[in-house]
Order: sequence, then structure tokens, then C-alpha cells
Amino acid sequence: MPSVEDRVKAVTARVLKVDADSVKSEQNFGSDLGAESVQSIELVASFEEEFGIEMDEDAALSVDTVGGAVDFITKVCQEQGVSV
Amino acid sequence: MPATTATKKFPLVDTTEPNRMEGTFPYDLPPLIKFDGPLVEQIDGETVEFDPNSVKTRDINITDTTFRDGQQARPPYTIDQMVKVYDMLAKLSGPNGVIRQTEFFLYTKNDRETLDRCRALGHKYPECTGWIRAVKADFRLVKEAGLAESGMLTSCSDFHIFDKLKFKSRKECMDSYCEVVDAAFEAGVRPRCHLEDLTRADLDGFVLPFVERLMEMSSQVPEEKGVKIRLCDTMGFGISYPGVELPRSIPKLIYKLNKECGVPSARLEWHGHNDFHKVHTNGGTAWLYGCDAVNATLFGFGERTGNPPLEGAVFEYIALLGKTNGLNTNMVTEIADYMKEEVGLPIPDSYPFVGKHFNTTRAGIHAGGLRQNEQIYNIFDTEKLLGRPPKVAITDKSGADGTTIWINDFLKLKGDNKISKIKCHKVCRWVMDQYEVDGRLTAISDQELEAKVKELMPDHYAKATGKK
Repeated sequence: MPSVEDRVKAVTARVLKVDADSVKSEQNFGSDLGAESVQSIELVASFEEEFGIEMDEDAALSVDTVGGAVDFITKVCQEQGVSV
Repeated sequence: MPATTATKKFPLVDTTEPNRMEGTFPYDLPPLIKFDGPLVEQIDGETVEFDPNSVKTRDINITDTTFRDGQQARPPYTIDQMVKVYDMLAKLSGPNGVIRQTEFFLYTKNDRETLDRCRALGHKYPECTGWIRAVKADFRLVKEAGLAESGMLTSCSDFHIFDKLKFKSRKECMDSYCEVVDAAFEAGVRPRCHLEDLTRADLDGFVLPFVERLMEMSSQVPEEKGVKIRLCDTMGFGISYPGVELPRSIPKLIYKLNKECGVPSARLEWHGHNDFHKVHTNGGTAWLYGCDAVNATLFGFGERTGNPPLEGAVFEYIALLGKTNGLNTNMVTEIADYMKEEVGLPIPDSYPFVGKHFNTTRAGIHAGGLRQNEQIYNIFDTEKLLGRPPKVAITDKSGADGTTIWINDFLKLKGDNKISKIKCHKVCRWVMDQYEVDGRLTAISDQELEAKVKELMPDHYAKATGKK
């Protein structure tokens, strides 16, 4: 099963229409990967769908890096009993 | 043409504190209508003053004719619909009876069943009254129905007297009407004489002598049974402006009946029509010059162009009195929803107080203002008084926040039931693509957005609307 990081990077690449191999943990969704307002929301929605979780909107949208998203999603999965 | 010469200087009154004029624009009420002097008319060569603030001490009220005149303009309501609307009118009216009366036809079995069912609800207001032709035998219907008051047609222009009713003379007409009034007195019913086509009638030649005779007849019965007079502006010819000549002048008509014929304000009622877009203001004018009652229909539906809209009269009443006096204004929205959804009454989107877009701001710069302080572009606290917070139309400037606000508002979701931007992302994307991909330049209509919510958020749409 792919890791959380791999899945986050794959979703990010698909939503932001960038090469998956170019997505790095330290990259910022906005300034590095070009995510605009609606794309940020689409990213959160896609993460929810990918992992089968519900995220707090404000908390999720305040995460600004790929690595931060990996940590945040891992934590939410644990809280909601979703194995990853 | 020479320019008008200025006669006064106006120095700037500089301040860093805004003057929002809360005394006139309190926000939790409609803007108040305040007067700083008397209303003045020239009548028969005399200067006559009217005190507009008398509305605060007189028992001004609204009477309803949704089920009579209102129904003449549309397919008949079902009995259930009328009972439901009557019940809601009673809730709107409140304990002080601001909506004082409503009138019913009495001719068919359905008419009488409707009346019985409405009265069985036990509401004190609106009081149920009847409406009949000026025919003696018709008072049997009023008496059988157990009504204390009934309107009766006493048309007063020569168009009606001679051309419609075919009387040979005015005297024959007046005698005929008075016979029916006598029959009403005998039946113990208070007659309300509807002076049809008053605003093109011969005042001195017929109307005033007739009303004078009615007052003489009324002196023979207790005050509470005395004839009421409904001033019917049947064709919408009435004018509110000062200085207009009779019979079109509303101030002068009321003065003649009130002060010269001696009909008390409590027994005068204005009934207008909207043929010249004057119906609401004419109703308010009647209040100011001495009619205690203004007759109205829900959403202004009535013969041809309609009658004073009752909901407009409600807000005019509050604006003149400076208080709600027990009115439950939120019922206006509930009644409108019922009429639109259950009865199928067409109410235009831009219609004041109840139209879908009556408080929707479209321009982006206005929406920005609305976000900073909703009072900038909202007429009063529409959420408090009508359960309708101000809305913003969706454009390229709305963003995901604006689109999500629209969706929650459309689905009528409040508090914890509101859905997040995340759940709305597909619609937000569609909105953005309209402008960024398709190069759209216009605002997105509610119909388009509703279709997209239905398509892209089918579960939320079905849950909130009950439709699939």
C-alpha cells in the first residue's frame, strides 16, 4: 500500500496539474505549486476523498506545505480510526 | 434661461464620526416617516391644515380583501388555501388587530364553508366580514352567516349609476341604495357602503348628498352599527399631490366626507387600484388625511392592476407609527413562500419585501460594502423583520466564500447545518471556470446556480429541498 506521503503527492499532482515526481515535502502549495483559492479547497476535498476522512475546514486550509499536509492527514486518520 | 440664483450658503460640517441618522433609520425597524409640519390644502378657497402625526393617536389599521378583490384577479383559491392564508394573516396581524378585517364572498357553498372554517380557528383578528351586491335579499346571506358587518356596492359615478346599473335618475339610485341600508339595519348588520368609482364621481351632485343621508340614517342606530364608508378608487384615478382638484384629490375627498359630512375617521376606509402605479402611496395618503383603514391584498393581487399590497401597508404602518404594534412581520415571508410554493402565485424576483432578489446586491463594489456593514446596502434588518438576510449575487469577484454563502442560503442551511467550502468545491470550480476559462462577463443567475447545485451536489440538494 502506498505511503501517506506518496498518496498526498499524487493527489497534489493531479489537482494542481503538475508532475508527481516534482512534488516535494517542503514545497508550499501556493507559492511553489501555484495553488489558487479554489484549488486549495479542491485539494482538501480530494484528500478527504482519497483517505475517507472529514477535515476541519479552517484547520485544513491553514496547512500550507506538502509535508504539513502529510502530518495533518496522518493525525486526522488516527483520530478517525482510518488505517493508513 | 438664467441659472437659479443661490440664496443660502452651506458650510461643510466636518467630522470624523459618521452621522448615520439612527433616529430616522433605526435599522431594526423600517426607516421612519417623520413630519416637521402640517399638511396644507386649499379647499373651497380656504386653507385647511391636516396633522399627519394624528396617525399615532388614531386607531389606523389595515383591512384585507385578498379573498374578495384579490381573488377576482386569479383562479379561485381552494378552501384549504384560504383557511391557511387566513390563519397566517391572523398571525401577521398580532394581538392588537393591525390587520383588522377581511371580507368574504357569501354566494356559494364553498364561500360559506370557507367563512365557517376561518371563524372556527377562533382568531379575534382579522374580523370576518361579508361582501354583497346592493340587493335587499342579499342581507339574508349576511344574517344567516352571522356576520356583524358587510360591504355592499353603492357605485357613485354616473358611469355606474346610468351606464352600468341603468338607473333612470340619481334620486332613484340613492333611494334604492338607502333601502338596502335600511334592510341591513333591520337585519342587525352594519353596512359598509362601497362608493365605487368615487374618483370620477360628481361629489356635490351625488356623493355628498348620499353620504349625508347615510349619516342621517346612521343617527338612528347605535354608533357601532353606523354606516361605514369605503372610498373606492376603482380605476386608480386618485391623486395624492396637494392642490389637485376634486374628484381626483384624495386629501379633499377625505376632508369632504370626514369634516363636512361628519363621517368619523374610524368609519372611513380607502380602497385603491394600481392602474397608474400610485396604489401604495395613495393608501398611505388616505391614512394621513383621515381614513383610519386602508384596504389591501396580499402582494397587491386584485382586479386588473391590483390593490395596495398588504405587506407594503404593513411596513408603511410601522414607518408611520414608529413601532410594530404587535405585527409579526416574519409572517410576510412565510405567507409569500406559501403563496409561491403551494398556491403557485407568481411573485417577481424584484418584488419588494418578498421577491427572491429584493435584497440581493449584484455589483461587486456593493457586495464589498455589504460585507463591511450590511446597512450600507440593506433597507433595514431584513433578517430580523423578514427572516431574509441580504444576499450577494455571484460574479467573478465572489470567490469560494461568496459561492458557499449563496449555496447555504439557497439550501436554507443555518448554524451548524451549514456546509463548508470543501463540500461546495465543485460548484466553486464551475463558477471560476465560467470567468477564467469561458470568458464570461455577466453575473450568474440563481437558476444556473441552482441547476449546478442539483447536478454537482445531488445529495445536499435532495436533502435540503426534498427534490431529486
